[in-house]
Amino acid sequence: MKRLLGVALGILTAIGGFVDIGDLVTNAVVGSRFGMSLVWVVVVGVVGICLFANMSGRVAAASGRATFEVIRERLGARAGLANLSASFLINLMTVTAEIGGVALALQLASSVHYLLWIPVAALAVWLVVWRIKFSIMENVTGLLGLTLIVFAVALFLLKPDWGNLAGQALAPAVPAEETATTYWYYAIALFGAAMTPYEVFFFSSGAVEEGWSIKDLVQSRINVLVGFPLGGLLSVAIAGCAAVVLLPAGIAVTSLSQVILPVAEGAGKVGLAFVLVGLVAATFGAALETTLSSGYTLAQFFGWSWGKFRRPAQAARFHLAMIICLFVGLAVLATGVDPVLVTEYSVVFSAIALPLTYLPILIVANDPQYMGGHVNGRPVNVLAMAYLVVILVASLAAIPLMIVTGAGS
Amino acid sequence: MTTARALAPPPPLAGRLLDAQLHLLDRQVMDNDGVPVTTVDDLELSGPALDVELAPGTPAPVLTALLTGPVLGTRIFGGRPPSSRLVRIPWEDVAEVGVVLKLGVGGGNLDATWVERWIRDKIIARIPGGRHDPR
Repeated sequence: MKRLLGVALGILTAIGGFVDIGDLVTNAVVGSRFGMSLVWVVVVGVVGICLFANMSGRVAAASGRATFEVIRERLGARAGLANLSASFLINLMTVTAEIGGVALALQLASSVHYLLWIPVAALAVWLVVWRIKFSIMENVTGLLGLTLIVFAVALFLLKPDWGNLAGQALAPAVPAEETATTYWYYAIALFGAAMTPYEVFFFSSGAVEEGWSIKDLVQSRINVLVGFPLGGLLSVAIAGCAAVVLLPAGIAVTSLSQVILPVAEGAGKVGLAFVLVGLVAATFGAALETTLSSGYTLAQFFGWSWGKFRRPAQAARFHLAMIICLFVGLAVLATGVDPVLVTEYSVVFSAIALPLTYLPILIVANDPQYMGGHVNGRPVNVLAMAYLVVILVASLAAIPLMIVTGAGS
Repeated sequence: MTTARALAPPPPLAGRLLDAQLHLLDRQVMDNDGVPVTTVDDLELSGPALDVELAPGTPAPVLTALLTGPVLGTRIFGGRPPSSRLVRIPWEDVAEVGVVLKLGVGGGNLDATWVERWIRDKIIARIPGGRHDPR
């Protein structure tokens, strides 16, 4: 019974924890401009993140090594440092976007300007990282994030033409008013949002934090294989809401208030209350995960003592690094840069950095010295190689497409 | 390469053969309590300097220490810091070589952890709750 509860809790937090500011904004933008015609990308992205999150979890459980230790060990100091620089900067950008997201969500709930909320959000993130137990942090934000299911509820209440929506999703076509290059640019953005590398850093480090062994792998596999796809369904619902309400009205999403507009229309005030709680929880949870990920990547590369399971004094550099990252995020946001814009860029840069994270994991997951008898099976390797090709193509195409489309405008 | 043949034979192999690049460099180092100390940033070998002509019968170099600290920068960008600036963990302290290198000594007093100690004592431990056990 306790085990069953554990599995249920794991799945629920995986669903609630799947959606972050990147998924929220990108799905809404895509829904409002391309309807359901990019849903296939979410499917591809979710299968990919399941595959690689699972793999990094297995590496962590079998060898006790988290992702960035593995990256440094496999790539060596030079390529490892280049990888760290890119991954860390993109992660820092995501930290900034998430904290901005928390502030924007709080602005929607309180009408107090978001710039005033930013220090509050950053301080709250630090307090949780400093003080709260890892599992409590994960479960509370994950469960509260589940309130985003209201997007799916709102979609039903809006009584859309399901046949039309399914048609857009199953026979994707570039809408008449958009060009093929913007279509593919947003396909890459959506792919980056679904597969963000920090999820892998966080997932594997979390496995070490919670002391997983091979025994726990079954449960983690269920969490990932059930939780992430359901989280992906939530992403699709966000896009669906935007496609039903915003696309016909000709509103292209540029702010968080437009993201939740369809929920207000479909599910009324109650829906709005739920979606606000969900927004704050999802962005706050992701802000925690990205902040921790910035500490994890640095500490694991340089071999510092790290982890929330230790007293802060026993992981001093790890905690100091996170404090500095939060200050940098604060400083960037204090310039008044639009957090939604930061988000849109962060997902595309995430897509560019994907091969840096996923290739070393795939190599180590096949190394018997690390994995013992738990190396990848052949089907997993075939699928992972296919994904590597997709990831590489997306990564290489991202910058040219960004230039050609003027970042999707 | 006649000089190479004239060198003394390497010491007899006892146990495992380790590849410095594959099994030592860039691996995590843990102390005897399983607390991470550092990553192996470079290795120090005994023996002649780089461009010295080897005399016949010179003994093969021996691994003397794991290096860390600023040496990482020079490993990436080239050059070599003076010997007094190297942060060493003597090879005698290494107890076990596996996916990580385990030391047989505590990490608390090593030169390699002084930055960690300094940040702990001067900054982190002074913030309220810095010594609070999260578990």
